[in-house]
Amino acid sequence: MSTHQSFMQRHQFLIRRLHSLTGILPIGVFLIAHLVTNSSLAWGWFALKGRGGAEGLSVSEGGVQYFAHEVTYLNTQVPHLFLIEVTLWAAIAFHSILGFYYAMGGQGNLPHYKHQDNFRYTLQRLSGYFGIAFIFYHVATLRWGWSFLVPNGTEWSHHWSASTLAAALQGSSEGWTAMGVVVSLFYFLGVSLLVFHFANGLWTAAITWGLTVSEHAQKRWGYVCAAVGVGLMLASWGALAGAMTVDYDEAQAIEASIQGSHEVPAEQLDVHTQNDGHTLQTAEADPEG
Amino acid sequence: MGAAQASIIGAEERKANRAVAVEGRSVIFKIKRCDGPGKPWRWESFKVPTEPGSNVISSLRHIAANPVTVDGKETTPVVWDSGCLEEVCGACTMVINGRVRQSCSCLIDEYAPREGDEIVLEPMSKFPVIRDLWVDRTRMFNALERVKAWVPIDGTYNLGAGPQEDHDHQQMRYALSECMTCGCCLEACPQFIKKEHEDQWESSFIGPQAISQARLFNEHGTGKRLKDERMDTLTGPGGIQDCGNAQNCVKVCPKGIPLTESIAAIGRSATIHSIKKFFTGK
Ligand code: SF4
Ligand code: SF4
Ligand code: FES
Repeated sequence: MSTHQSFMQRHQFLIRRLHSLTGILPIGVFLIAHLVTNSSLAWGWFALKGRGGAEGLSVSEGGVQYFAHEVTYLNTQVPHLFLIEVTLWAAIAFHSILGFYYAMGGQGNLPHYKHQDNFRYTLQRLSGYFGIAFIFYHVATLRWGWSFLVPNGTEWSHHWSASTLAAALQGSSEGWTAMGVVVSLFYFLGVSLLVFHFANGLWTAAITWGLTVSEHAQKRWGYVCAAVGVGLMLASWGALAGAMTVDYDEAQAIEASIQGSHEVPAEQLDVHTQNDGHTLQTAEADPEG
Repeated sequence: MGAAQASIIGAEERKANRAVAVEGRSVIFKIKRCDGPGKPWRWESFKVPTEPGSNVISSLRHIAANPVTVDGKETTPVVWDSGCLEEVCGACTMVINGRVRQSCSCLIDEYAPREGDEIVLEPMSKFPVIRDLWVDRTRMFNALERVKAWVPIDGTYNLGAGPQEDHDHQQMRYALSECMTCGCCLEACPQFIKKEHEDQWESSFIGPQAISQARLFNEHGTGKRLKDERMDTLTGPGGIQDCGNAQNCVKVCPKGIPLTESIAAIGRSATIHSIKKFFTGK
């Protein structure tokens, strides 16, 4: 037996509990925040309207306005953003590598024991596999700038958050392409499975940690988790539906106005301009719609 | 409580079958056979006449008396294990039509109501096969030893009267005490993996049966003196952390033992035990 293996074995319990914990904190908490932000593409207009700021905007435009504002805020005003991101990536790597390793150790038997819980067990593993592939693609293309993986090579930038997201999902900045449909479908499956994975994980974590012991308690907590799951599912679908209906040129116009009006000091914006020079130049070269 | 619960899925269907069962019919038993540890396995089918109320064991007896396959080939009698014949010893557990259960209580009318219907018998897949349908469940008893599933009363002095027990607590423990070490829960558990050799048992998932028995004795007034040792085992390699919450175990347990509640209860003890150990343990 290698020392590596015996280390894993000696600390099996602790590592598994950490695996359970990381699924909720930070990953689950981030997931909630992320989906709330992104779904503002769908509900942003209503929020603006509440503040009396939605005049003259369509629902889609209002969503873009709100979302772009949020994203600009997160990317420019949140302190230690890079540290937060690296922590998150490390947690995801830990959770998924261990999850993969554990899932390999099980022997699914759904065809013989067709219970709802056994289905959950199986789907939890499948959604983990699919989910990590999706997260990797999602982060690599929209965060790390691996634009060669995006149809037509759109590069996401937080200055042009809604428009470049829409172009990545729709397949081009001119509207839908066949590849765009494929990417969007991949997103739809990815986010839906991940939301299930989180809701189900939240349910089983309560058993793992011994919070819900009796069958009734497990059932009650199950309703709570189902509600969380449904809520996040709606948020994720809202975000996708929002991004799929964004008009690239309209969004660019709104984003350009936000950059102009945002209280970010000019020098700071310049730094970003250099970083994302390519995208910005493209936008500047664009006739204004 | 307990045994009265129909915990195996498909109860409705079985009841319906019983109502339409044809009298005086013959049914086919397709049996997965193996002559001994490490030997190859094969399928053999036998035609068996039914009688009112006949079950899998009575049919296996018929086969043992006439070991001739449906193709007229003479073969060896099929070997199986059994004891009580009333679903309390667990010895006769096998996989019937793809699902694990006791064979002594498995009525032919419920599974094969029409002439020529087939019943498939296989040995449990998570335990080493001794021969045909007979498996070696030693690992389960080894697991009981590992979690010290007993009450420590041996000593050099009189321990005095036993602890007082209230009614509800006694009822809860009674349900757990009904376990007959049959192995259904382990057979159905996707996290419990077959290990042929004893030296692999210690590091592989111990399974819901022993987890539930550990809870039974942790809950006993005197038995709880060994709780820390039990929790050391259950937070060690192959302990409670290997459960994947598929909850198959609770659905196949013929005794209706609340295994998932036991798993959660031991999960809670494990949480407390490990925190306590982190701050105060060696
Ligand atoms: S709940 Fe745990 S012990 Fe029971 S079948 Fe599922 S994985 Fe196995
Ligand atoms: S817990 Fe139930 S299924 Fe498991 S060994 Fe005991 S009686 Fe059999
Ligand atoms: S022979 Fe004892 S349970 Fe079947």
